[in-house]
Amino acid sequence: MKLDLTLGLIDRPGQLIKALEPLAKNGGNIISIIHEREKVSSGYVPVSLVVDFPTIANFEKTKRELEDVSISVIKSEEIIEKANVSFILIGKLDVRKIVETETDKARIVNFESSAPTSKEACIRLNIEAPVEEINRIVAKLKEVAEEENAVLISSV
Amino acid sequence: MKAILVGFGFIGRSLVKTIRLKKNTLNLIDKEFKLVGVSDLDGYLYNEKGLSLEKLASINEIPEYSPNFLMEKSSLELIEKCDADIMIETTPTNIEDGKPGLTHMEKALSKGMHVVTSNKGPLVVEFKKLVNLSKEMGVEFKYEATVAGALPIFSLVNECLQGDEILRISGILNGTANYILSKMYFEGTSFELTLKEAQERGITESDPTYDIEGIDAACKVVILANAIMKRDVRFKDVKRVGIKRITPEAVNLAKQSGYVIKLIGTIDKNLEVAPKLIPETHPLCVHGTLNVLHLETDLAKVITIIGYGAGRETVSAMVNDIISVIKKRN
Ligand SMILES: NC(=O)c1ccc[n+]([C@@H]2O[C@H](COP(=O)([O-])OP(=O)(O)OC[C@H]3O[C@@H](n4cnc5c(N)ncnc54)[C@H](OP(=O)(O)O)[C@@H]3O)[C@@H](O)[C@H]2O)c1
Repeated sequence: MKLDLTLGLIDRPGQLIKALEPLAKNGGNIISIIHEREKVSSGYVPVSLVVDFPTIANFEKTKRELEDVSISVIKSEEIIEKANVSFILIGKLDVRKIVETETDKARIVNFESSAPTSKEACIRLNIEAPVEEINRIVAKLKEVAEEENAVLISSV
Repeated sequence: MKAILVGFGFIGRSLVKTIRLKKNTLNLIDKEFKLVGVSDLDGYLYNEKGLSLEKLASINEIPEYSPNFLMEKSSLELIEKCDADIMIETTPTNIEDGKPGLTHMEKALSKGMHVVTSNKGPLVVEFKKLVNLSKEMGVEFKYEATVAGALPIFSLVNECLQGDEILRISGILNGTANYILSKMYFEGTSFELTLKEAQERGITESDPTYDIEGIDAACKVVILANAIMKRDVRFKDVKRVGIKRITPEAVNLAKQSGYVIKLIGTIDKNLEVAPKLIPETHPLCVHGTLNVLHLETDLAKVITIIGYGAGRETVSAMVNDIISVIKKRN
């Protein structure tokens, strides 16, 4: 899991190395690091990092070890990678039903329907969802489309 | 080596013309290479000293070759009695029970003949059985022309990607469906009108079901899955959606966001033929009657080959198969 972290370091030499040790020891893979020296406030320098940990337990252990050496974790947020996929649906459709199939993780970010000149209705959807959820969502949409006897065209 | 040709239709005749054209190339590899027998539904011709390629290349029906044409004798009899090393099989594809090709292939392989074919039917129905039989008999079984015509997909994987694991194959495997979708994309026409035009231009059969329902593409998915991914799957295992319901509005909505609708066959853990949205800049986005195969592998990552999947060009794959057999076995 990827985490967006901000640590508060005392503005003194050697602090950064001290902070990185527990990260490395617990399997954290540092993807980026910004040492924001110009933002020093009340003697603390914020350091922003993106770290990939094998599990949440690894992060929690790291956090305790950082606090043991007086480094506070000011912010920790999981980074969820999102993908945007397009679909076209052809046929008589209950769009509400499609929206309802979405989990709280997926979001319709774009919706367009064509002028109905053919006998079949047609819409284009763009859905944003966490990368690892995409296949499940596509499968779910396919299922609904099949139930409704509609054609679902997904992107490769 | 001596060869017989079973099936003297469009592909069979095109192949004879090409063998004649490439006689020097073939004779450099094997100066004894000869075509000794030809058959179709009506009967066969056989001459162990070799048939005249010039004469064969100039006729449309076998009886025109000689009064010695053996009417009402079956291809099976030719396979049985001939002393040829290779059978080239180009009879019509039948995906129900694979016949008559399957019977011809089983007979030839059991007799210890190498087989080169363009006929998908027997491979869709009994791929494993035929491969096992060829191994048991220690003969070559080559079928490059059965998938995507002239595209050398099996040679590519078997010769050039021997250390790669093939993770996914996707492709446009039917030129007629691609022609229709390409026309709809460029001209904004309806499916019905575009199909009619394709029929008038002779691009599709009078019964276009196999092309537009994705049946032909699904047969190729089965062969690719069995031959390349070493699976043991059948036609019913392929999820299939055709292109009949694609409307000009759908094509247009796709176009507005940079996509083209193409009928794509996919082989990974799932087997599928379905219309998909392909980004205009993706290597799978080829138009007209072209076919394309896109491989995803662990080492090479991606490889794409594009070319003609049907028509006269198909014989390129068959001639290469014949030469491969001669080089390996002569
Ligand atoms: N056309 C292409 O572009 C293409 C491309 C790739 C693969 N293929 C495959 O290649 C094969 C041949 O295609 P094609 O276009 O040449 O078909 P075709 O023109 O219909 O020719 C089929 C030939 O097979 C003969 N035949 C039928 N039953 C037979 C039997 N029991 N014994 C011996 N011959 C028999 C037919 O004889 P009669 O003339 O007496 O009926 C005809 O000569 C098919 O399996 C096809 O799917 C075709």
